[in-house]
Amino acid sequence: MSLRQKLLLLFSLTVTAAVAAVAWTVLVRIRVVFEERDQEETALFVSQFQREFQIRSSEVTAAVDRLAASERASAMAVELAQSGDTGAYLSEAQRMAQDAHLDFLEIVGPAGDIVSSAQWPARFGYPEPAALTSDPGSFLKREELSDGSAALGLFAVRSVRGSGDGLRLIGGVRLDQAFLANLPAAPGMSVALYTDDAQNVNAAAPAFEASRLIGPDGPASHAAIYEPLIEAVLRSGRQASAILYLGKRREDSINVAAIPLQNAAGKVLAVLTVAISRASMVAAQQHIRAIAYGVASGGILLAIIFSLWIAARVSRPIEELARASQEIANGNWDVCVPERGRDEMTVLARGFNHMAAQLASQRERLVQTERVAAWRELARRLAHELKNPLFPLQLTVENLARSRQLPSAEFDEVFEESTRTLSMEIANLKTIIGRFSDFSKMPKPQLEPIDAAAVVERVRLLYESACGPGIAFRVDASPEPMPLCVDPELLHRAVSNLVLNAIDAMPDGGTLTMSARPMGESVEIRVADTGEGLTPEECERLFTPYYTTKLHGTGLGLAIVQSVIADHAGTIAVESHDGAGATFILLLPKASL
Amino acid sequence: MLRRLAISILLAGFAIAAMARTRPHYGGTLRIETAGDPWQNPGGVARRLVFDGLTEIGPDGALRPALAVSWKSENAAHRWTFRLRSGVRFHDGSALTSIAVATSLMETCGGNCPWTAVHALGSSVVFTSDAPMPNLPALLASVEFLIRAPQSGENKIGTGPFQVAGTTDGVLTLAANESSWAGRPFVDGIEIRAPRSVSDQWVDLAAGRADVVEVPAAQIHQAQQQHFTLAVSLPVEVLALEIAPSGALANRNVREAIEYAIDRNALANVIFQKQAKPSGALLPQAVSGYAFLFPGERDLNKAHELRGGMTPALMRIRAEGGPAFQLVAQRILLNLREAGFNVQLDASGHSADLVLRTFTAEGADPAGSLAEILRAAGDPAPAIGADPAQTYRAERDVLEDGTLIPLLHLPRAYATAEHLRDFRLRFDGTPDLADASLEAAK
Repeated sequence: MSLRQKLLLLFSLTVTAAVAAVAWTVLVRIRVVFEERDQEETALFVSQFQREFQIRSSEVTAAVDRLAASERASAMAVELAQSGDTGAYLSEAQRMAQDAHLDFLEIVGPAGDIVSSAQWPARFGYPEPAALTSDPGSFLKREELSDGSAALGLFAVRSVRGSGDGLRLIGGVRLDQAFLANLPAAPGMSVALYTDDAQNVNAAAPAFEASRLIGPDGPASHAAIYEPLIEAVLRSGRQASAILYLGKRREDSINVAAIPLQNAAGKVLAVLTVAISRASMVAAQQHIRAIAYGVASGGILLAIIFSLWIAARVSRPIEELARASQEIANGNWDVCVPERGRDEMTVLARGFNHMAAQLASQRERLVQTERVAAWRELARRLAHELKNPLFPLQLTVENLARSRQLPSAEFDEVFEESTRTLSMEIANLKTIIGRFSDFSKMPKPQLEPIDAAAVVERVRLLYESACGPGIAFRVDASPEPMPLCVDPELLHRAVSNLVLNAIDAMPDGGTLTMSARPMGESVEIRVADTGEGLTPEECERLFTPYYTTKLHGTGLGLAIVQSVIADHAGTIAVESHDGAGATFILLLPKASL
Repeated sequence: MLRRLAISILLAGFAIAAMARTRPHYGGTLRIETAGDPWQNPGGVARRLVFDGLTEIGPDGALRPALAVSWKSENAAHRWTFRLRSGVRFHDGSALTSIAVATSLMETCGGNCPWTAVHALGSSVVFTSDAPMPNLPALLASVEFLIRAPQSGENKIGTGPFQVAGTTDGVLTLAANESSWAGRPFVDGIEIRAPRSVSDQWVDLAAGRADVVEVPAAQIHQAQQQHFTLAVSLPVEVLALEIAPSGALANRNVREAIEYAIDRNALANVIFQKQAKPSGALLPQAVSGYAFLFPGERDLNKAHELRGGMTPALMRIRAEGGPAFQLVAQRILLNLREAGFNVQLDASGHSADLVLRTFTAEGADPAGSLAEILRAAGDPAPAIGADPAQTYRAERDVLEDGTLIPLLHLPRAYATAEHLRDFRLRFDGTPDLADASLEAAK
């Protein structure tokens, strides 16, 4: 990753993190504020409902009060006190309830027995314990009906005026669908009533029945989702609230407050639920979130653009320096970094330019020095190589000149001997000149696919028998494929050269080991001997042309090997310890299959 | 002298005027309103106005001739011969013949006749049976065996004092039968409006839009308080609880426990405002004279004891009839729950275990009335002789089974307009309008 990219990434991440942190904080805060407002709104509606409930309770109490104070009730009390005949009043409760718009009304005698019942006329004579309450207010009661069902009602009890505590009226209204429909409800708000059945009220763990939850229009929709909340209220007897989800989306959620409706003994007879839709709140939240996301995205985009500009401005001088360095590394010494401004980068660029100029100058001097040294070495080598055959030639010619004094037969013998020697030495000179010629004109490799094991095997076949009895020839080739794309002849000659060197290094015998193995994306070929080894200095100079440790070597063998390996994009190295032999290591790129 | 003469003339005028007020007038249309179908069997008000039986029950409850002028039994009541009244014609003008009577009777009861065979023999109709039929003349007076013209189909053609003139807008119009064998009725016609709720009937009566309206037994007291002119029969209607003897109710003890659990006095005194007689007897005291021997007092402890701690499965109770009977069913439900039974009101009307039904003692003859009630209840009618002790034993045997529990004896009542004269009820409480007349409007 380039410096510019790193800078861009760093700037972008910093800005993005900062924007995201701000956006997250704002959104969380907005959510909290909305939730608080939602809760407050729900609490407001709940208190409004409780007030409405109180008003309905007061209405029931007032209605029963009016009935108890009516002349009709007083006259009935007097007649009952005089005659004791309750039979005549069988339908009286129905008539009074109809007049007072009450759903429930029972006239109860002094002993607590029903004289007349509007809701279940046949119950006359049966006791009504609730009528004996001294509670002046209203209360909840479950009323059993003739069809086997039970209804929840809001009741009040009053003694008929003039009868002392003799005759009582217990009247009420039904808490049902119609009652819910008459409760004021704001848009988006819905109320429902869960009426627990008689067995459930006394059960330790009340079981929820979805069909018992009714709304103003009949059975409540999505009743099942209310189960945990209503069960919690039934168990605890305390008001509870929760957010319930009608679907998977957040806007399909409602904030529900569940209010327990208890009888005088504290038993929860029903649960009134007030549900307020959160759709508008969620929509507002989503709107704000969309705006926040838009602003944040815009900010981040601007930040990235700004970061691009900053990164380019900061990284450009460094990139120019890097490019210049690369050029120098590639051998182009004529590079110059622009020097702009007066900051640290300009000082650096100026220093770089000066350094590059110095290096170019030094290199030029070094090249010239090396060139002179090479010519000297070449001259020395040539002189050395040519001197050896020249000396016998000189002796032979001088011997031939002296032999002219000898008799003809002896001269002929000497002449023949001398011409043979001259021919041999001239051939020797030709050979020396041929080697130098070969080194100067190395052929271009003809690449072919071949496995390294085949290369090693071919060399083994050629030289194993030629090693002589004192040298053990060992080959260790990996069974894994080791494909190479090389000139087989050149590589064979290079490896053969290394093998011949190894044989030469072990005049007293030893072990010659050839190995080949894959190493990642390369193939390694090793040629090791157990001869006397090389000194560090020898190792350092070993691949220099015309350097040799042999008595009659030209010093071109390893130079040719290095040249061949380099032509195949490979490397050659030597490992050696004094007295412990030497190992030549070839690393060649593996060919793709 | 002249003064005496003037006084005499004046007194004579008053006397003539008084006589004129007591003498019935011909003409006018009588308006009756009912809650039920006027043709329903039994109890339909139109049936006895249009049709006659071979015999009939008089106002005193005694059996008397109607289309048959005499009858006699032979072979120990295995064979009865009824001699028909001569000169009687159906409303369509055809003569009443013994063949027509036999055909009508066979059409009426189909395969459930109390006799084995009926056939015409000259001007007589002969009934034969494998079992003795000591109460056949009384049975033939019941509304079930009224005679209608053969093959009249849906047309209601009889021999009664009124004939069907038509039905318009739910009002059944009857016209006086000019050639009625019992003599032409005083009114020219009768309009029967049905169905009409009792409260609407009372409003119409008070507003002068009706002349005869129904007064259910439970509302007689209320009608009296409203100062209606009432005609109230003897308590000839029996309210009884019919128990299907299946499941837990197959146990006689359970049925007896139910009987002991019911508070008849509360039903009579409160629901029926003391107009009903609580009784454990099928036949009313006025008919049998021994109803007091079946007291039917409530004993909750005994009910619990007979139930024996067992809680039978849910039972359903249903009532046939108006609101008062529904209230009785609810009260019985409460009584039974108090005794440990699990009871619910039955809304379906088909699968009730307990059914409240009413039966009518149509005549003063105990044996005949008992036979008719048992026949209506679906029980095989035993051969009950005229001996009251035998009737008592027959009734006791029936009640001991516990599948039919008598609760109350109820009267039937009608309220009438003040200008209606000579309105009477038959012994079974149905209105007898043959002699009724309307006073001319002043």
